Amino acid sequence: MEDFLYFFTFQDPSIVFVVIGIILLGVGSAYVGTYSFLDKKALLGDAISHAILPGICLGFMLAGEKNPLFIVSGAFISGALATFLSSWLNKNTRLSEDAIIASILSIFFGFGIVLLTIIQKSGNPEMAGLNQFIFGNAIAIQESDLYIYGGLAVFIILCLTIFQKEFSLLVFNPDYGRAIGFPMGMIRVIFNILMILSVVIGIQAIGVVLMAALLITPGAAARFWTDRLGVLVILAGVFSAVSGVLGTYISFVIPQMPTGPWVVVFLSILALISFLFAPKKGVLSRYISRRIYLKKTHRDHLLKLLYKGIEADKSGLPIEEIYEAFPFQKKQSEQSIKNLAKDNFITQNQSFIELSISGKSEAKRIVRLHRLWELYLNEYMNIAPDHVHDTAEKLEHILTPEMEELLESRLNFPKLDPHQENIPRDHDEL
Amino acid sequence: MITQVKSPILEIHDLTVSYDQSPVLWNVDLSLPSGKLIGILGPNGAGKSTLIKAIMGLVDPSGGYVKLFDKTLEEVRSRISYVPQRESVDWNFPASVLDVVMMGTYGKLGLFKRPGKKEKELSMESLEKVGMHGFANRQISELSGGQQQRVFIARSLAQNADLYLMDEPFAGVDMATETAIFELLQEMTAAGKTVIVVHHDIYSAVNYFDWFIMLNLHLVASGPKETVMTEDLLRKTYGGKLNLLTKVSDLIRQKEFNPLKN
Amino acid sequence: MSFDQNAFLIIITAAMIAISCGLLGVFMMLRKMSMTGDAISHAVLPGIVIGFFVSGSQRGLEVIIGAGILGILATLMIDWLRRKARVQLDASIGITFTLLFAIGIILINLLAYKVDLDQECVLYGEIAYLPIDLWLTKSGLNMGPRILYLSLLNLILVTAFIILFFKELKVTSFDENFSKVIGIPAGLINLSLMSMVSYTTVSSFEAVGAILVVALLVVPPATAFLWTRKLKLLIQLTIVLGIGISIVGYYLAYLFDSSIAGMIVSVAGIAFLASALFKSKSFLSRFGTSRQPESLKKIV
Repeated sequence: MEDFLYFFTFQDPSIVFVVIGIILLGVGSAYVGTYSFLDKKALLGDAISHAILPGICLGFMLAGEKNPLFIVSGAFISGALATFLSSWLNKNTRLSEDAIIASILSIFFGFGIVLLTIIQKSGNPEMAGLNQFIFGNAIAIQESDLYIYGGLAVFIILCLTIFQKEFSLLVFNPDYGRAIGFPMGMIRVIFNILMILSVVIGIQAIGVVLMAALLITPGAAARFWTDRLGVLVILAGVFSAVSGVLGTYISFVIPQMPTGPWVVVFLSILALISFLFAPKKGVLSRYISRRIYLKKTHRDHLLKLLYKGIEADKSGLPIEEIYEAFPFQKKQSEQSIKNLAKDNFITQNQSFIELSISGKSEAKRIVRLHRLWELYLNEYMNIAPDHVHDTAEKLEHILTPEMEELLESRLNFPKLDPHQENIPRDHDEL
Repeated sequence: MITQVKSPILEIHDLTVSYDQSPVLWNVDLSLPSGKLIGILGPNGAGKSTLIKAIMGLVDPSGGYVKLFDKTLEEVRSRISYVPQRESVDWNFPASVLDVVMMGTYGKLGLFKRPGKKEKELSMESLEKVGMHGFANRQISELSGGQQQRVFIARSLAQNADLYLMDEPFAGVDMATETAIFELLQEMTAAGKTVIVVHHDIYSAVNYFDWFIMLNLHLVASGPKETVMTEDLLRKTYGGKLNLLTKVSDLIRQKEFNPLKN
Repeated sequence: MSFDQNAFLIIITAAMIAISCGLLGVFMMLRKMSMTGDAISHAVLPGIVIGFFVSGSQRGLEVIIGAGILGILATLMIDWLRRKARVQLDASIGITFTLLFAIGIILINLLAYKVDLDQECVLYGEIAYLPIDLWLTKSGLNMGPRILYLSLLNLILVTAFIILFFKELKVTSFDENFSKVIGIPAGLINLSLMSMVSYTTVSSFEAVGAILVVALLVVPPATAFLWTRKLKLLIQLTIVLGIGISIVGYYLAYLFDSSIAGMIVSVAGIAFLASALFKSKSFLSRFGTSRQPESLKKIV
């Protein structure tokens, strides 16, 4: 608790730097990552982030210490080389994109390991700092790092915001962009540069191995909440910043713990919450809306049953007969009857159920849709009268008033369905 | 306009198929006679390939069923052969022409058994039938489009089936190959096999097939050439999609689940 | 350089690992699933750590079972994300392996005192220590390096798997739909291949680390694919490459005093890039000879 207060009240200026740093680079990476996620190039980011390891090591070897400028430049150069190589291989060999990305990723990383072990054996005391780049250690961000990493992050964010139109075009429809005269090749190059930069700054916090998560997961999670690009990138940025700060807090409390894995875990938790609980697209809400729909279909079928009773000159039906009509669904039937009564669609008189006036009108509407659709299937789709019932049984629940009107006019306000049954209109007497 | 037949080789009952949300095939209900060369016609996106995939069990229908030789697919798999679209595979795959044709014999071989002399002979025979026996040891990445198509047909012949379903075997092949393939299909039907072919060109179709299935998201017609090759039915097939049907499809797509599924 | 028994043992082990990985990698590449292989080899980490923790040693069967479970779990999770949550495939792969790998690293740190595993080992393994990590029987008999046996067993099982299911692997990799139609259980074949990849990752893990396994899985097959269009030749070439990079990699590592596994991968990388340059379309069109008429035809 004490740690918690100490950390989140930001009394310590070095914590302030760390938090500002992690938020900036988290937002920057998530921002770029969202575009590459939409571009379906998410794994290229993974390749780039593994591929910058040799650059970091070379930068370190040249500078002889953990100099951020050397390391950032080295990382950028090897990231750019990896990106260039993968697009070159894509154009000039018959290897699939998947094999190319995996090859580049592992070759660069392997070479990075060679350099890393050479540095290790040279006995340079600064070596410990280098290990942080593999799994990340946000706590190590210092004021001098912040200016470089934070500055780059701000640059990325600004660039993406100013050229939002161009980058959306790149992701959505590059051929169209080319056709209307945008230099799409150039835009692709700039985007790749931004992507490499975001990876370069992200590794400080999360490390090369797990950097892919910072690029992919925020965008994938945010996609569940919105269809609008503007909201999407902001949300992805928020997810990423929150996870970054929480991950940093963990490494603050447990000093030998790297930040990266925890950031990934928090990001994944946010993503899981989004997949399950996001309104509309979430797994749970899809399940619920299906349940609600099934309930509605049962209610509709019950109304139809009562209506058919009236057609057979029964003013209503005993409740037992209703239960029998839907075998093994007694619970649902009970629930539907309760709901219908609440909506004043039916009246219940000592287990004898009758349609009310509004109930009759609703029942007529459903029967009408059912029979209109049957007739449409029969007349326009050549489906035999004895085959139309099942589909109509499913569609009667979703046809809108506008579709009803269209059906009526297309079929010329028919009187009878393919089974010679009356198609009821609202003003018909019952 | 839908001619049903007695003791059909293939019976499709009220088949509805959706991809993700949107229905791509509505209530197809038909039956087909054996020993005929049957063409599936329809505009782009009419559901022609989907129909074949549904027959072969490659897509799950959201309603209805298919019966072959009056049995389920599982029971008669070895009597049915499928030729997918040429573009559905990567022709850079490291295999020779003979390798690919031999794949047709794998189904009957079963697990663990390797193809032997008998399978090789059968495959060479099949290659000869499509006029590709000189190419047996050629790598498939070196073939032209028409040659690739003929290799696929040879693979299917090597299955020695009774019913053949072919998805666009004439797409992107030259005139000579098209004629050669067509003659081969005629020989097959003359020998009592049934061949169902997805085809995109109505003009050549008239000369090729003796039975037609016309699709446009729903079944427009199914029957012998004389009864279904009418201007009215062709207009219904190619004259745009049914407005109401596309509207309902849009309506279903906006839902977060598919109401047509049981 | 005189004959050195330790060098010989290390090279033999490395070559066996490279061959096992390469054999599986050929089919992963042909199925365009190299990145899934990458994901699986990351994802088995928590299984390995938990296995170490439960068995209290690196030798336990628990490690292999733990990793096997995680490998299959990763495949299922990718599938769940794609189907149920409707996340696109590349993102599903990315989310799955980063999460599982992160959990593995956290577990290593939490159990640091109880588990003899460190982050470096995860990254690039300890094949250099192979000669001193011996298998001693209960009677105290020295049977030689333990990892040598593990790799040999792995190689035998992988080879048996490839030979037994060669025809099924071939047809499902080339045309999955067709294989389903002729009644070959494509899903099962796929799952077995993924399980073999998980098992090979674990078995090779101590020697070369989780991440460099990927390189051996991907790079030799990709290099070989640039040279041949025949499946048998592709496999043979992959095996030859596996042996070659192990030998050259070992001696270069010796020369530069660096990670052996890392150097093997770097050598593989150089072979790959050189092949790509030599076999590339732009190179061929400039210096192409009549030896490659078919590839020229494709360009025109």
